[in-house]
Amino acid sequence: MILGLDVGGTQTDTVLIDKNGVFYESKTPTGDNLLETLALALDKTLTNIDPTNIERMTFSTTMATNAIVQGLLADTGMIVSAGPGMDPALFSVGPSYHVVEGCLDHQGLEAMPVNKEAVLNASDLIRQDGIKLVGIVTKFSVRNPAHELLISDWVKNSFSHIALGHQVSGALNFPRRITTTYLNAALYGLHQEFTNAVIRTIGKKDLQAPRFLLKPDGGTVGLEQSLYYPAGTAQSGPAASVMGALALDGCKGNSIVLDIGGTTTDMSVVLNGVPLLARHGIMLGPFQTLVRSLLTRSIGMGGDSEIQIEKNGNLKIGPLRKGSPVAFGGNIPTPTDAMITLDLIRIGNGEAARDAMEKLAVPLGLTADKMAHEVLKHTAQSIAVSVNDFIGYINSRPLYTIHEVVQEKKIIPDSVVIIGGPAPQFADYVGKALGLPYRVPSHFGVANAVGAAVARVTSEISLQADTQRGTVVIPEADVQDKIASDFSLEDASSLAREVIKKQALQAGADPSDLDITITEKEMFNMIRGYSRTGRNIRLKMSIVPGIIPEWNRRKQDDTR
Amino acid sequence: MIRAERRTGLIFFPAFDWAISPTHPEREERLLYTQDQVLEEGLLDIEGIREYRVREALFKDIRRVHFCVPDEEAVTTRSHLISAGGCLVAADAVLKGEVESAFALVRPPGHHSMRVVHGNRGFCNINIEAIMIEYIREKYGIRKVAIVDTDCHHGDGTQDIYWHDPDTLFISVHQDGRTLYPGSGFIDESGGPNAQGATVNIPLPPGTGEKGFLFVLDEFIMPLLKKFQPELVINSAGQDNHFNDPITNMNFTARGYATLNARLKPDIAVLEGGYAIENALPYVNVGIIMAMAGMDTSYVKEPNYDRDYKPQPADITLYIEKLVAELKDLFLKGNPLKTEFKEGEIIERNRNIFYDTDGIDEKQHEKLRCCHDCAGALSIESTSSLGQHIHAVHIPMFACTACRDIALDWHKKAFRGNFDHLYLQDKVRGVYEKV
Repeated sequence: MILGLDVGGTQTDTVLIDKNGVFYESKTPTGDNLLETLALALDKTLTNIDPTNIERMTFSTTMATNAIVQGLLADTGMIVSAGPGMDPALFSVGPSYHVVEGCLDHQGLEAMPVNKEAVLNASDLIRQDGIKLVGIVTKFSVRNPAHELLISDWVKNSFSHIALGHQVSGALNFPRRITTTYLNAALYGLHQEFTNAVIRTIGKKDLQAPRFLLKPDGGTVGLEQSLYYPAGTAQSGPAASVMGALALDGCKGNSIVLDIGGTTTDMSVVLNGVPLLARHGIMLGPFQTLVRSLLTRSIGMGGDSEIQIEKNGNLKIGPLRKGSPVAFGGNIPTPTDAMITLDLIRIGNGEAARDAMEKLAVPLGLTADKMAHEVLKHTAQSIAVSVNDFIGYINSRPLYTIHEVVQEKKIIPDSVVIIGGPAPQFADYVGKALGLPYRVPSHFGVANAVGAAVARVTSEISLQADTQRGTVVIPEADVQDKIASDFSLEDASSLAREVIKKQALQAGADPSDLDITITEKEMFNMIRGYSRTGRNIRLKMSIVPGIIPEWNRRKQDDTR
Repeated sequence: MIRAERRTGLIFFPAFDWAISPTHPEREERLLYTQDQVLEEGLLDIEGIREYRVREALFKDIRRVHFCVPDEEAVTTRSHLISAGGCLVAADAVLKGEVESAFALVRPPGHHSMRVVHGNRGFCNINIEAIMIEYIREKYGIRKVAIVDTDCHHGDGTQDIYWHDPDTLFISVHQDGRTLYPGSGFIDESGGPNAQGATVNIPLPPGTGEKGFLFVLDEFIMPLLKKFQPELVINSAGQDNHFNDPITNMNFTARGYATLNARLKPDIAVLEGGYAIENALPYVNVGIIMAMAGMDTSYVKEPNYDRDYKPQPADITLYIEKLVAELKDLFLKGNPLKTEFKEGEIIERNRNIFYDTDGIDEKQHEKLRCCHDCAGALSIESTSSLGQHIHAVHIPMFACTACRDIALDWHKKAFRGNFDHLYLQDKVRGVYEKV
């Protein structure tokens, strides 16, 4: 039995899955206290269930996002060294940010040693501020982590926790490395409290099975293993929906996934069962980070969005939600009221909903039914405009090789999968507006919890080998080795494969479910003068987001 | 989030799968470290810097500029088309107002490609700036364009294409042709009979440093641009004046390039040469992008700057000051270079052109109608050592009736049997023919 729990802005969704498929689903209002909500949802779900039957559980958490938005980040010092480029003062973050001398170039060669005196000075200043957490980041540390390690060694006795930049991601992006490292340090304590509390809560309920947290890339990580990378568990809600659609529908071909909620609609694209990842990391509050994430876009358009009639008589839906639909005691008419009017759904006060539509309709010379129909059509059209804009954005991704330009891999969606509360009522309208066949999978209302439940552990590493320098580096796994001048692409592949396996298993992956993909593979001859002096190999390997094998072995077919 | 002062477009096409030959400077690896530096700086995250996807230029885009022998397909590869196409994307981004300026960081380069193309000269097959400018003129109705070529090598291809065009001010700043390929670009090369003074060459002595380049810019190029009043300024942003460049002898720096760009404020910059791929290009390109975006570039510095950069010696400063004084006399105070030609006179010249990369010799015979109203009718007979013999006629975009008539007459009377191909480039009607 598998448990999935997704904490959303207003509702926390829970599902239980056994060998036949989803057999239980429930919704609990999300309260101010995350842990209380969690306990409540678990209580509700585990009534009449023997906890020892639960073999695996995944939670999504809004802890990190909430902490960022509510300004609860712990005071964290930063020690940064940059070298040429932008003024590093521009990337200042946290209450005690210090730039020290030192420089590595793009190959990871030392251009200027780190100034030890400056480091110790910075460390003293941070401690004088009473700060116990510190982040250390140097430019190009993913090419050579030596400076970060050196600084860390110098100051390790002065702080309770140190976060290092190169471990965050293998991607080149100094400013994002700084913010992500900062967040990992600043969220460390809160995240530790959270995981401990979760462990206590589930312990009380006799849940002993492996437990995971969902990440924004649609993968999971073991709860205990997430400790040092709390930023990596933030804002996984949209990913939960995508993984749910993928599990419940299969998402063959080029599918758009739409999660239509009360306040917002989230969109994403799945190509033959593989969700598209964002090019850069996710945005957390005001911070651009290196946290890997699925490519999603959210618009202020949902069942409870405000309907307005503009001066010129045009309809405007969203982007705000101003309380409940009229059918539920609100004052502002919403698409939900339109659905109720058209008898697409029987909830709330039907008469109030119809009155609200009537009020909108009269000045326009329409009937309430016609008005309601127009509202849904207009909402769907607005969603379609955003979807097309989103696809246009995806198709404008820069291309760096002739091969890519010639292939011109344009993504043309061929179907739309719709989930979320009002999915069935909106589906026909949205399908028509997009001109695409649509599908609404079963359990559409808790697809996000299903997604959390059945998402596999993901992992990513970046290898860079430079045979001229004689080094290979895999920053995320803290691998740095000497290599011989004949180190080949095959050598690089087998090393990377070994490392990513180890890393995934550490993060709690199922050894029988390691779907390793090479996402980037480049080899350049390095020519100096007119002869070859070495090879520059770049390899990115990942375990891409996917669904655990248990789900695919279930007997009941939930796909429609 | 950091915000750019000026909205800037970046068109990056490193062509990671294309080289002239495996060990040629124009190879896969050339922009690899530039990419690393740009990504690591986080420049693409800056609000106001927008990266665009490249596209392929069409043969029709090339025909607005070149006579390709025997045809476009034979003298280009996909990489050339995409490099030129990247410039067209830059042009659209700026001319549609999506960004205030754009940088086409593309390869291969193009400024050694002349109007007639038999093959590759100086790593160039087609002139990507000229293809962009003629596209802009046709699509957006822009007429007066200035090109400032800051590559270390004389932009002889661009000079050739605009030699007769009074609407294009071509300024090339480069290492003195007596000391470097292609061996041209002297002060007295100042434009054809109908475009005298619209070509300006500034040959600088080997060893010219930050001080010399910026002096030439402030004292001469900026006033010259002010006088010409272009609607658009293009920078052919070659980066081989750098003190780390392996095939030139100049002494310029990343911060110098950034400062030059910030003062010149080109609408569009296009990468040309530059082959210090590890220790110059990453910093120069970062500097140019930041300068275009209006950001502070005072922290842009090569790691070996303090050790290896030598300030410009006094004798070079003196030489440059004298050179600039001479240039000012020639181009800013009236036009003493101008020779009077009689309206309607046909002027002929013979030229030999060598294609270093492909080892081709070309002989040209050129006829130009002197005209006080337009750029003049132009015909070129060209024979290459590959055995191709062509006749090509060019009618400029704003040609007067007399020039147009005589050009069409030249084209009609050229005897098909004497040539492999007859070309007509009628920019008035936008018709490009080859038989």
